[in-house]
Amino acid sequence: MTRMKKAALWSGVASLALIASVGTAVAESDLIIAMPATNEPASLDGHIDPYQSTWLINSLITDPLVILSPDGTYIPGLATDWSVSDDGKTWTFTLRDGVTFHDGEPFNAEAVRANLERIVAPETASAQMASDIGPIASIETDGETGLTIIYDTPWVTLLDAVRRAPLWSPAALATAEPGDMSAILVGTGPFRFVDWVQNDNITLERWDDYAGVTAISEAPGPVDLDSVTIRFIGESAVMGEVLATGEVNMVYTLPPLFSDRYVGNSDYTLLSKGQAGTGLQMVMNTRSAPLDDIRVRQALILGTDSAAANDILYDGLYQASDGPLNNIHPCFWEGSSDMYPVDQERAAALLDDAGWVVGDGGMRVAQGVEGVEDGTPLTVRYSTLHHQEIGEVFQAQLRPLGIDLQIEVVPGPVQLDMVQRRDFELMYERQRSPSPLILDQVWNSAYDEPGGWAWTGYANPELDGILEQLRAVFDDDERCDLARDAQQIIMENALMLPTLSQPIIVGLDASVQGFEMGAEGNWFFLQNASIEN
Amino acid sequence: MRRYVLGRLLQLIPVLFLVSLIVFAVMRLLPGDPALLMLSGAEGGAITPERLNELREQMGLNEPLAAQYLNFVLGALQGDLGSSIRFQVPVIDLILDRFGSTFELAVAGLFLAIAIGMPLGMIAAARQGGWIDSLCMTLSYIGSSMPVYWLGLLLVLVFSFTLHWFPSAGGGSFEALILPAFTLGLLSAGVLARLIRSSMLEVATEDYMRTARAKGLFPRLIIFRHGLKNAMIPVLTMIGLQFGALLAGTVVTETVFSRPGLGRLIVDSILSKDYPLVQGAILFLAVVYLLVNLAVDLAYALLDPRIRYGN
Repeated sequence: MTRMKKAALWSGVASLALIASVGTAVAESDLIIAMPATNEPASLDGHIDPYQSTWLINSLITDPLVILSPDGTYIPGLATDWSVSDDGKTWTFTLRDGVTFHDGEPFNAEAVRANLERIVAPETASAQMASDIGPIASIETDGETGLTIIYDTPWVTLLDAVRRAPLWSPAALATAEPGDMSAILVGTGPFRFVDWVQNDNITLERWDDYAGVTAISEAPGPVDLDSVTIRFIGESAVMGEVLATGEVNMVYTLPPLFSDRYVGNSDYTLLSKGQAGTGLQMVMNTRSAPLDDIRVRQALILGTDSAAANDILYDGLYQASDGPLNNIHPCFWEGSSDMYPVDQERAAALLDDAGWVVGDGGMRVAQGVEGVEDGTPLTVRYSTLHHQEIGEVFQAQLRPLGIDLQIEVVPGPVQLDMVQRRDFELMYERQRSPSPLILDQVWNSAYDEPGGWAWTGYANPELDGILEQLRAVFDDDERCDLARDAQQIIMENALMLPTLSQPIIVGLDASVQGFEMGAEGNWFFLQNASIEN
Repeated sequence: MRRYVLGRLLQLIPVLFLVSLIVFAVMRLLPGDPALLMLSGAEGGAITPERLNELREQMGLNEPLAAQYLNFVLGALQGDLGSSIRFQVPVIDLILDRFGSTFELAVAGLFLAIAIGMPLGMIAAARQGGWIDSLCMTLSYIGSSMPVYWLGLLLVLVFSFTLHWFPSAGGGSFEALILPAFTLGLLSAGVLARLIRSSMLEVATEDYMRTARAKGLFPRLIIFRHGLKNAMIPVLTMIGLQFGALLAGTVVTETVFSRPGLGRLIVDSILSKDYPLVQGAILFLAVVYLLVNLAVDLAYALLDPRIRYGN
């Protein structure tokens, strides 16, 4: 028996030693990126998928017509020039000459037309891009490089769509079987698609014939990197450490709590970029008590301190989001920051005034609140998909006011079911886009219908009118002015509880050079990247 | 024997029918709309009721439930489990693509469970009542009571983050299999060790064991030829059941170690309400589980010549 035990022990030790000796080396010029598993695309075809990560990965395989540069301006991609008619209905693009797809097919106006037609075709079942490209009336081509897209109504956001819309080889699209990504993902970009092991990794390799002529490339010709491997990591603790173990060169979306691991260490570089949008907001259901009373809604905003939550939870690494658009959004209304300074006294007075009085144990109860039985405790239910920790800090901040914030974490399907039934009080919601049109989607009462995104039950013809104009006005400044007017109305009526905005933190080891983050945290460029050992 | 196997295979039909009905019904009872979920990934664009209805139509969700179920069952009978709503590829391709990794993990976990659990149980039984017995049983209790998620993270912390011996995430290589297999295997090893110990102690009092000892056979021969073989019958049942548990356990393990596998695929598809994929994958796992247990039942005859089927 003793001999058997020894044999078992030694065989185990020998196995471990053998396996350990295999090691996990990172080859030269191979960039290995860790990305959260939640970012893994569904189909990897940006014509169909509605995910930023899909469009980002697509941009490594194929160049877009225009590029949103790191400084936030549109620069030439495969279009060298573009213009729009004064009425915003006709877009004209001049395309680059001499560009080819990975399969040798020429890139030209017909290729762009084929891609746009595929995106908007109902049988493609595009979940998002078809809406972004919009209701095209017709597409006209002029030779190899002239392209005109015509709409019946002004379509002012086309550049934001075509910067993300991937352009695949029409020859590949014509012959590829649905779902066969190696056949579909034939682009013009710096990397060729090699393989996608779902729930594990995506592998791309350098395309040696890449011309490198878009405005983001610093030099013509193929990129330095031999390959890019994107590994999808399901566990945040692993995401936080995987750069330090040397298994990857780069972590895209480093959990903030792990940033201390790398800050101040010259072996690593941390980059952080915000994401313009709504921030992590809590929208309020105004249909029933207690949130049907503006005084209660205002008290909630006055009684919470998101800056303190940022310090407690994220070492201050998250960004302020004081209103319906976050503070880094180009159309942010600065009045949001001043309207509701943290003021527990004012919040308490508002609650007293609304009929919610302090009862036994310090918690407030109804006394003369319309439609509410006297003695009913003041509870507010907060439903969220994630970031429940923000709710927990708010819970602690609201308790001295006598408000019982109850937090429930729900999966995506349940959240959608709740909002469809309008069965919620405070609901987590986030949209990420530099376009102010997201306000229309969330706050225009026209979308308070099945499938619509306007959940709060608040209807105001003035607000709806302003939001509808956002779709028709072409001038950026004018649109931002409209968006600011809308934000003011939303804040005056206290329809949402602003919290924070989540930045994207990217961790790089010292070997990675030339990596560039986009204007938005959810985008980056590898055209000029290299691995220096 | 042939009749028995045929009979057992025929019994699979009503079981699988029930499984298909339950999984179909449960998925429809759960809150959430796959079309809406797909659009909810869209940020910054307009989600109109028209677009929602269009997508529902394309996904076949506007058909009556009975028609959807009938399509599923008729397709499954012909080996066609439909196409994934999310991935837009045949479900069977996705399942077969991922099952290899899950099967590999479950088998490796089972191998480790047996390799660790059996000696532990045998040693404990041979040293019944002594400190070695107590130590072995304590280890088995610890093994069987540790949460998979916690154990997985602990192993990653020690062997990946600290010692850098194994990769912390991913699949596709032998070294990437070790920590997940240990995570799964240690749990089952504890269960098996306890069962083997009690089973060995039970057979130790049997007449044939006393006879063997009276004949003056070597203790090792008594334990392996007479004791272990007879003690293995309930253990074999447990191994069959444990294999099912290991397949289920891969869901958590695959998530902790970011391994591509059927478990993660099912969890993701439940969250995205990918009806065809969930239905197909559960049905597939049910078939695997039933076949494994059939194989275990047949293995009894190999261990005990007195057991005969079909007569």
